[in-house]
Amino acid sequence: MVTRRARSAVRRSVLFVVALGLVAVCWELYKAVGPDAGGDIFGWRLIPKTNDRVMPHTWEMVAEMTRPAIGQGDQQVWLVLLGYSWYTFQMSVAGLVVGTAIGVLLAVLMARFRIVERGLLPYVVLSQTIPLIALAPQVTAIRGSLDWPQWTSAVALAAFLSFFPITVSTLRGLQAAPAASLELMASYAAGWWTTLRKLRFPTAIPYMVPGLKLAATAAVIGVIVTEITLGGLRGVGYATIDYSQKVTSQPASVYAAVFAAAALGLVMFAMIVGCETYVMRNRPQEERG
Amino acid sequence: MTDQPAVNVRGASMVFNAGTPGQVDALSEVDVIVDPGEFVSLIGPSGCGKSTLLRLIANLIEPTSGSVEVNGKSAKQACADQDYGMAFQQSGLFDWRSVAKNIELPLELKGWDKAKRAARSQEMLDLVKLSDRGAHMPWQLSGGQQQRIAIARALASHPPLLLMDEPFGALDEMTREHMQAELLQICEVTNTTVVFVTHSIPEAVYLSDRVVVMSAGPGRITDVIDVGLGKNRDEGTRENDSFYKKITEVREALRGAELGDGARGIEDR
Repeated sequence: MVTRRARSAVRRSVLFVVALGLVAVCWELYKAVGPDAGGDIFGWRLIPKTNDRVMPHTWEMVAEMTRPAIGQGDQQVWLVLLGYSWYTFQMSVAGLVVGTAIGVLLAVLMARFRIVERGLLPYVVLSQTIPLIALAPQVTAIRGSLDWPQWTSAVALAAFLSFFPITVSTLRGLQAAPAASLELMASYAAGWWTTLRKLRFPTAIPYMVPGLKLAATAAVIGVIVTEITLGGLRGVGYATIDYSQKVTSQPASVYAAVFAAAALGLVMFAMIVGCETYVMRNRPQEERG
Repeated sequence: MTDQPAVNVRGASMVFNAGTPGQVDALSEVDVIVDPGEFVSLIGPSGCGKSTLLRLIANLIEPTSGSVEVNGKSAKQACADQDYGMAFQQSGLFDWRSVAKNIELPLELKGWDKAKRAARSQEMLDLVKLSDRGAHMPWQLSGGQQQRIAIARALASHPPLLLMDEPFGALDEMTREHMQAELLQICEVTNTTVVFVTHSIPEAVYLSDRVVVMSAGPGRITDVIDVGLGKNRDEGTRENDSFYKKITEVREALRGAELGDGARGIEDR
């Protein structure tokens, strides 16, 4: 069983690299054959320019990582990005933790009181239709009035994005306990909280995992959008804006920042997968993701 | 205490969806007395209310009218005092707990300390002949083994009464007969009273001191048959003439009650 899992993990990472390679090949292929100045189809400008400013070579993007970063003395780009990523990572984790706490709390309340579920669930869904960018200034205004440090805005918005999938998946999981198991707990004269602890919550865990995976990447997006919208926070989001303004001198650096953001999302995702593997280690195969 | 009936159901009725077009008379004016140490089966077609009756005794539902007493207490008090253990058709073991921890669940809820729980779960594992499976996870066991663990869990806190709802219904015939013999042994060793819901006639006859025959629409008791095969039953009992006679008697009681269509859902095996 262990070897089968290990083998599938190796296969997945190989496929990941192969897919990345294929994308790079397509990129280079188009760059080689496409027109330098772009082109029109039926009078519409649909063919992107292939010059080095718009589409730098893939190896340029990689090489960019080891060049000195503009305005950072002689520090190399990857080191600067690593620092930015660490900053964003911390806020994302904090946002995910806060979002998970709020999400689980809401789900428990909704599972406990039907009336709360009916009253609150529509607003929970509605909350996710608000554009984050519209919310950011309000959150900052409230944070400012509370005299909290600036990074708490990013944490709040990351939590705002991540609590939703957790609430929905946890609620579903808390309601998934089989009737016979609930009867068993009732025959033990176990109260609602005891039943929650011993039965409903453990039953909910496999349902919560996909929600947590979505929440982890959502938290990163929340922090990055906050950085871009508000300024003053020096993370990966700031880097993408900062580097895009230097696109003339170092066109590949924008992509370097994008890679950093993508890598950060992957790290967050991997963290959840790690937790999942640990928590689910004793569960039957069909319950594992 | 000793001359108290283990279960005393008087005039119990159960109506679901009362006053609506979907009204169901699940039970109507049912009286049952089970003495301590007795093994009583409830048998009847689907919808005769045998599971409903068991759930009334377990205090999982409350009767519309009538009374239910367990060990001379109200069903509610008996539930709070954990006077009975339950086993269902699905073993209902928790996937995330080891076999031993599953058996310890009722003890945990009663607040036993860890050492006492571990000692008791090992005792129960020995009783159901799965001594070395404590550290396994439930899904690593076969269906019959899982059901044995469910019985061990039901009996872990020494309840004087065991309520079982078709516990062997999902098992194959060979395992089923084997489990029946083991259940009788376990009950003898632990001196447990059992109320057992089944839809298998031979199972009811093999296990029981008395078989309560029920019929549907509304759910009621139509006959009570004394089996009288004695306490020491073994594989030979199944080939006995008196065993077959009792099976025929129960079958005829079921047919007589329903005249034709009522015997749906009854197995002759």
